[in-house]
Amino acid sequence: MTQLIRKATILEIINHWILAISFFLLAITGFGFLFRLEWMASIFGSFNSMRAIHNWSGVVFIIALFGTMFHYLPVALSWSKDDIDWFKKAGGYLSKGVKVPPQDIINAGQKLFYLFLLIFGLVISATGFVIWLMAGERQWVLISHLLHNIAFDLLIMAIPLHIYLGTLANPGTFRIMVYGTVPVEWARKRHGKWVQKLGY
Amino acid sequence: MARKALLISPELCIGCRACQTACKSWNQLPATKTVNKGTFENPPDLTPNLYNRIRYVEVPSEANMVRWLFVSQRCMHCEDAGCMRICPAPGALFRTKEGAVAFNKDKCIGCKLCVAGCPFDVPRYDENNKVSKCHLCSDRIAEGLSPACAKTCPTGAIAYGDRDELMAKAKKAGYEKLYGEADLGGLGVLYAFKDAPKLYGMIERPEIPETVLFWHKVLKPLSYIGLAGAVAAAALHYIAIGPKRDEGGE
Repeated sequence: MTQLIRKATILEIINHWILAISFFLLAITGFGFLFRLEWMASIFGSFNSMRAIHNWSGVVFIIALFGTMFHYLPVALSWSKDDIDWFKKAGGYLSKGVKVPPQDIINAGQKLFYLFLLIFGLVISATGFVIWLMAGERQWVLISHLLHNIAFDLLIMAIPLHIYLGTLANPGTFRIMVYGTVPVEWARKRHGKWVQKLGY
Repeated sequence: MARKALLISPELCIGCRACQTACKSWNQLPATKTVNKGTFENPPDLTPNLYNRIRYVEVPSEANMVRWLFVSQRCMHCEDAGCMRICPAPGALFRTKEGAVAFNKDKCIGCKLCVAGCPFDVPRYDENNKVSKCHLCSDRIAEGLSPACAKTCPTGAIAYGDRDELMAKAKKAGYEKLYGEADLGGLGVLYAFKDAPKLYGMIERPEIPETVLFWHKVLKPLSYIGLAGAVAAAALHYIAIGPKRDEGGE
């Protein structure tokens, strides 16, 4: 029988799902407003209710994003030579049979992605709250509207890659979002440092 | 249909404010209590219940101790309207066939982005948090009538008609360049100023905020191009290189 080790706690899994669902709602309602999609508004009731869903999903998103800081921030900030070397080999994604340096519980790419998400997640949330709560304050709203949309463009490119890398590109990864556990051998190949630290 | 417009001639205005009253009367807007601040200008600014007003500008100089300028202030009905560009709710702000920028409170979601997009600080929000501004009496002009303000103006300081005809008339009267002739694709409210527009309290060169234009031209298309690009890149990687599998121990 395959030995499993826990990679994500229940709290982490739930928090990640909340973050993912709120992001999905925010992104599609965001597209609804960006392109004034009547059919999208009718899914959510009206443009009025879609606005409420967009705004309150933002509240959920920022809370969940704050929660991730306890899960990923410390490790995302710890960089070693192995992380740099991981990038030099493009994480082994560009050709078959490339050996990458041993990685922590999240690899160098995931560390970078997390910091990226944290920064632009905070930007898109903060500017969203300005647009929402400081409506009518012309200069504040204009600069926030700009930053909100820049952050959106960046996130809407990064998230699909994150989903791809967590599902199709790495078979066996998605189960972390369901069970939180992975086979030891699977983990040894991808997160060698972490597995070693655990003593396997 | 030929684009309709208003031609404002401050030189003809006597500051009677009949236009303000007529507007309130037609649009059924209640009066607001204000405080005397030592000027005949009243109310001091546009409100959700005041779509147009006369701005009183006092410009004393050596030669002319009492120079008093009267300027009608309201929505300019821009050809390229910043409010309409930024508004996320379709139909909340809309263009009538006469070229006016009108609004539908039922469709307004109260986000106030139009306030940020307007170069002229025009849109106001009522007690229900819905947009409120001059709509060029869209209900009147659709029936071939002139807007209430123009209808009531006793001196012709507010003239309503085909935009081209109004412009030709003003040029014939000796106004070489009208304010609003070409700004923002041409304003729906033209001004025949005898002096610098700034003197009358107007913005020299009105423009839609650059951030709004950049958002409209670059960031908006980039959102779906970026999304499609990311999905395409993932698909291409999956086909060309493929996933990282464990079996076989490569």
